[in-house]
Amino acid sequence: MRWELSAEQADFRSVLADWLTEVCAPETLRSWLDAGDHGAFEERFAADGWFGVGSPEDLGGEGGGLVELALAAEELGRRGAPSSAWLGSMLALPALARDAEAAKTLLADGMTTVLAVPSGAAPNGRHALAGDGGLRGAISTVLAATRARRFVVPVEDGTLQLVEAGQDAVRVHGRELTDRTRTVGDVEFDGVHGTTIPGDAAEVLEQAALRAAVLVSADALGVMERMLDETVEYAGQRRQFGVPIGSFQAVKHAAAEMLVKVESARSIVYLAAASVEAGLDDAPLHAAAAKAQVCGAAAVAADTALTLHGAIGYTWEHDLQIFYKRAKLDAQLFGSVAEWNERLAARLELLPGMSQG
Amino acid sequence: MDFELTDDQATIRDAVRDLAGKFDDQYWMEHDRDKEFPTEFYDALASGGWLGITTPEEYGGHGFGITEASILIEEVAKSGGGMNAASSIHLSIFGMHPVIKHGSEELKQRTLPRIVDGSLHVCFGVTEPGAGLDTTRITTFAKREGDHYRINGRKVWISKAMESEKVLLLTRTQKVDEVAKKTDGMTLFLTDLDRSKIDIRPIPKMGRNAVTSNELFIDDLIVPVEDRVGEEGQGFKYILDGLNPERMLVAAEALGIGRVALDRAVTYGNQREVFGRQIGMNQGIQFPLADSLAHLDAAELILRKATWLYDQGKPCGREANTAKYLCAEAGFQAADRALQTHGGMGYSEEYNVARYFREARLMRIAPLSQEMVLNYLGSHVLGLPRSY
Repeated sequence: MRWELSAEQADFRSVLADWLTEVCAPETLRSWLDAGDHGAFEERFAADGWFGVGSPEDLGGEGGGLVELALAAEELGRRGAPSSAWLGSMLALPALARDAEAAKTLLADGMTTVLAVPSGAAPNGRHALAGDGGLRGAISTVLAATRARRFVVPVEDGTLQLVEAGQDAVRVHGRELTDRTRTVGDVEFDGVHGTTIPGDAAEVLEQAALRAAVLVSADALGVMERMLDETVEYAGQRRQFGVPIGSFQAVKHAAAEMLVKVESARSIVYLAAASVEAGLDDAPLHAAAAKAQVCGAAAVAADTALTLHGAIGYTWEHDLQIFYKRAKLDAQLFGSVAEWNERLAARLELLPGMSQG
Repeated sequence: MDFELTDDQATIRDAVRDLAGKFDDQYWMEHDRDKEFPTEFYDALASGGWLGITTPEEYGGHGFGITEASILIEEVAKSGGGMNAASSIHLSIFGMHPVIKHGSEELKQRTLPRIVDGSLHVCFGVTEPGAGLDTTRITTFAKREGDHYRINGRKVWISKAMESEKVLLLTRTQKVDEVAKKTDGMTLFLTDLDRSKIDIRPIPKMGRNAVTSNELFIDDLIVPVEDRVGEEGQGFKYILDGLNPERMLVAAEALGIGRVALDRAVTYGNQREVFGRQIGMNQGIQFPLADSLAHLDAAELILRKATWLYDQGKPCGREANTAKYLCAEAGFQAADRALQTHGGMGYSEEYNVARYFREARLMRIAPLSQEMVLNYLGSHVLGLPRSY
């Protein structure tokens, strides 16, 4: 089997990388994080047209699919970019695909529309709201809640509703994350009426879960690559006992182990993206393997990177902390390693009752 | 706290080291290769009086505790004899404990002095194919007929049965569905391995090949009542008493293998030169060996604590299980790293570390798996619900 990025995909990646180098330079990123303001990045990102890439043209997108989105997630992760609003919106797309006007508003006009599900688990219908006489109830830790202009809300009757933010009956409370490059918030709905999105909510949420697995693992891949690059550079430059620390085998081997994880992560992330995009039978397996393996590996790589940096990596001045925290959040975002391993186990022919929890 | 060995303990350690050291790598390599019981080694330990180290003095032994026994068996394994050496004497060292504690005077007089002088080889017949570690599920049945029992059933993984005259045999005298508690109705015997009634078949296996591991097919074995250990129906309780000491002895054996493997790795790391320098200069080689030293030392400490507690008559389940777990893990890691340090030579039989590796792997399985130790610690020590 031979699989590689098409010329267009490779071009897209390099143009986005260049754009991020210019727009999301480390000092600029720090100023956004210190101010707690992700708006500047999000507005520029939407204004320059990146929101539409990876979505079908008939929905107002620029074409391409999940592979393009995974490439974008990887590059955003590599820069530590404040990408919650984009990620939250990309997860809402399977729902919006059933409502062309809403999709166009998101993709072409950049109106942030996020899926209202808790970000600590794979998207599912367990937190659906009561719908009689208007939506009522609260959903905690919704990704990019404070940035959202619209929410896609799962309802107990098995439907989804599109709800406008910015009305009295929709209250959003932001929460502090250790990873300052992402945002979450709790959303409270108090008898609000939205527009029903046609179609089967369970199916849409499952699609959103698979997309979340692919895109978060792609993010973790980018973060891991960045930490490896930083580590290798530091190990070549920092001297102890009269030699660069990178000449010590224990350091070399630890960095080589990170490289092994990066390479295997790249293989599964792109495969999972292409597989989910194509709707293959094994797509849920591929997505689960990517989420569990890559995010788990990135969380471990973060510790290795910190160990190899020594105390400097533990400081606020050094950028490693930004990526360290991002890798740790990726391991939990939209489902822990254990949760996705459970999904894998449930699809294998193990003993009945053992894997279903 | 006092970490010193007593004078007796130090003497035992030095004397056993000296005696076991007389059997070189060649000896063990050949016996393992040829699947031949190490009779000369066994006889040397017997004539030195070592097999009776824990047997009470009134039966000809020395009456020492498990601490001394574990020091002895650790030295035996560490001599390079590994599990072949340890298993040849393991049962004599502490396996007769249920007999000593619960057997009739007549049975003890008849058997224990012969354990001490080495003329009586015994094996331990508990595990069965249908039961595994779920001991109360055994089905080998002893039916009382006047002054004797008639025994039928099957045993598996019975070490040294081929070489043994007698077996410490656990049976059911009541079926599991006929008793109030499933641990009731089990009866222990110390009886002859009558070859006309018991078919013994060695199991081809990965290592420790100088001492057999066997399947036993028992067909109408007639056992006199005098061979029963203690009371009928109490057998499970009797063997339970011996489980912690067994774990400690196995821990000591695993520790000994780890020590000898590490020692060989260090020697090779200092001698072997590649890229114009000793390979021990590579951090990729030196660090794993240093890490193994740290883990072996830590495992040794919990083993010493466990045996001390037992000899003081204090509860030691937590420590005995932890010692087995940590020593098996550290011993295997050390053997694995010794093999890796030797490179291709590690894979040849010539350097012996391959033999240690095969034997050290066994210690994570026998006499109970690492996972069963975690079950014990999880439910009995931490108070979590039983998970199996």
